[in-house]
Amino acid sequence: MKFKKWIFPGIGILLLILLAACGGGSEETAVSESDTPAEAPLVVEEFDDSCGTVELQYWNPFTGPDGPFMGEIVEAFNAENDNISVVMTTQSEYYTQLSTAAASNTLPDVAIVHADQVATQAFRNILRPIDEIVTANGINGADYPAGAWNAGEVAGRRYSIPLDIHPMTMFYNADLLAAAGFDAPPTTGEEFAAIAAAVTDGSNNGFMITSGFPIRQIFDMLLYQYGGTSFNADGTEATWNSEAGVQALEWMLAAQSDWSQPNLEVDAELNAFKGGTVGLIWNGIWQTTNVTGDGVEFDGQATAVPQIGPQPATWGGSHQLTMPTQAEPDSCKDAAAGTFIKYLLDNSVTWAQAGQLPANNVVRSSAEFLAIEPQASIAPSAEHVFFPPAVPGITDAYGPLDEAVSSLMAGTATDIQAALDDAAARANQILAENKDNYGDSP
Amino acid sequence: MTAAGKAEKRTLLQPHKRTGNPIVPYLFVAPHLLFFMVFVGYPFFYGLYISFFQYDFLRPDATNFVFLENYAKLFTPDSVQFPVFWNALGNTVEFVFLSVPPLIIIPLILAVLLNTKVPGRNFFRGIYFAPWVLSAAVVGLLGFWMFQSQGGLLNYYLIQMGIEAPRWLSSMPWAWVSILLITIWWTVGFNMIIILAALQDIPAHLYESAAIDGANSWRQFVSITIPLLRPVMVFVTVITIIASFNLFAQPFFMTGGGPAQASGGGATEPVMLRIYREGFERNQLGTAASMSFLVATIMILFSYTNFRLFRTRE
Repeated sequence: MKFKKWIFPGIGILLLILLAACGGGSEETAVSESDTPAEAPLVVEEFDDSCGTVELQYWNPFTGPDGPFMGEIVEAFNAENDNISVVMTTQSEYYTQLSTAAASNTLPDVAIVHADQVATQAFRNILRPIDEIVTANGINGADYPAGAWNAGEVAGRRYSIPLDIHPMTMFYNADLLAAAGFDAPPTTGEEFAAIAAAVTDGSNNGFMITSGFPIRQIFDMLLYQYGGTSFNADGTEATWNSEAGVQALEWMLAAQSDWSQPNLEVDAELNAFKGGTVGLIWNGIWQTTNVTGDGVEFDGQATAVPQIGPQPATWGGSHQLTMPTQAEPDSCKDAAAGTFIKYLLDNSVTWAQAGQLPANNVVRSSAEFLAIEPQASIAPSAEHVFFPPAVPGITDAYGPLDEAVSSLMAGTATDIQAALDDAAARANQILAENKDNYGDSP
Repeated sequence: MTAAGKAEKRTLLQPHKRTGNPIVPYLFVAPHLLFFMVFVGYPFFYGLYISFFQYDFLRPDATNFVFLENYAKLFTPDSVQFPVFWNALGNTVEFVFLSVPPLIIIPLILAVLLNTKVPGRNFFRGIYFAPWVLSAAVVGLLGFWMFQSQGGLLNYYLIQMGIEAPRWLSSMPWAWVSILLITIWWTVGFNMIIILAALQDIPAHLYESAAIDGANSWRQFVSITIPLLRPVMVFVTVITIIASFNLFAQPFFMTGGGPAQASGGGATEPVMLRIYREGFERNQLGTAASMSFLVATIMILFSYTNFRLFRTRE
């Protein structure tokens, strides 16, 4: 009986702990409810001595060899500004870090966010609008390529400013091209086909394309080159199942069977290129140090991707500068953050050395930038980079397209139109679910 | 003291007479109970709670009570989640059926071999167990570099031998074969050690008397080793099924869940990876929680059936 007498209080204590724990959880949500960014307007003042010394937290996802270049800019900024001290933190698992920091109100003052993530992070209350910062620092949209600039405007407000553009890039083995009788990389579809065919023989591949990343990005690029778009303008419908989409995939499949190898896994083209048996590959500009210069034992070069279809278009991403939500906005910190953002934009030529194209047109056409190769010869691509519509969760809707393009390239699906239609139907469902989930404004 | 009088009669419920403060047993379990409540109990109930919501912890204004709608989505064929969730769950179940038999039989064979007095057996015990100490990420990356097609170790040697190698990571069924091989290499040592420990508990005189009776070594294995290993084999089977159900890191690093399927999802995408993507890439924590609970329910039924099956035979 003693056993019975004690089991009930025991269970009671257990339940109490549970209830207390659950209660704690809902209390936390109530706190963050009152801190929604729309209610905290930015007060922008000129940063001056009345603020004393301000410390800014600056987060970015530059875990690769590009990180030290960013650190160099930050050090230079700190040396020039006695009253502002920027502390840079480089994070991996970046968006998970931002989410958890948002939940615990420890977001940094300035953060890098990728262009296609700006809307999602704005709707999730991680970012706040910075229209006032932009105006106060004389940052002008006309100085940036329209696509990269528009990616930062969400539901009528500005959340980010483009720092750089990282486009799809063509890497070529100049030794193999020279052996085949070509001394310049291709710029048109005809030249591309001629070189790829000439380099392809029993042991070498003229061009190599996989069935993994970044083939959806390659598809997207060709889709735009053939005059199509991925989504309609307001991001409510997938539109890749057009004639242009079919043309893009027909080109990719022909390229695979004529010059490449069937059904290659992700990164196979990079590994084979580094082995010296591939003439041409397309991958992100961030692979430059990996597959050119000292990274390889042959003359590896990088340049802008050629124009295959009738329209110029290049796939690309963009790192954008943002100001995350603060529980207690501080006008001194906001002004200092504005000064820092402006400095990063004006000095992005140092950042270009890390293998990026500065988004700012003035910096990108400066003599100092044009002296940096191969970035300078890739730079014309920046004008033609397109971005998905700035709606939250847009990257989710690319999932079905990834699967369709990948299965077509792997040969597990053969009907191009049917695969694209099916992917568009599933993407439309995702877009509708996201719209229902995120609502119309942050 | 009528209660005490009653208790004395019910000796079945109370085999030992308790003395001292009755709160003492609870104090003994308290340290573990506390950690269990904080890290298992609370998250469990909180997960159940959010599975009834359209939920995002950063958007409290958009957190709506939807009751069973998240679960209904998993059973509605034209929902976003239906094709990818069931594809992933099917993949995981397929992996359980593919992986559990080799993960039981190979360790059993190894344990029996290493239980004999072969020279250098401690060295071999160490070698077979060694991969188990590696983290999942290391194993996944090793797997990728072993099986990848351009200069991967395996393909390099296969080509040297003049064998045409399949696309291990990007075609079926080879993607499963690669994941299975790397999983067996990684975890075989753990089951082996447990079975080995059980083998050493079998008294040597049983084998001696069987030998006197004229039983050969196969007969000894079937009539002595297998029956006496039975409880341990049940345990090993159940934990291996659970471990295989939790498959995540090997496909995450080796195939990314691919090869992709035009009908949605990937051919080696396990259900745990799908839940992660739903919750942390799509930020749909409510549906991700409902997926978790459906999978947990299936796992509980699976384990329960297992114990029942083995128990009724005894």
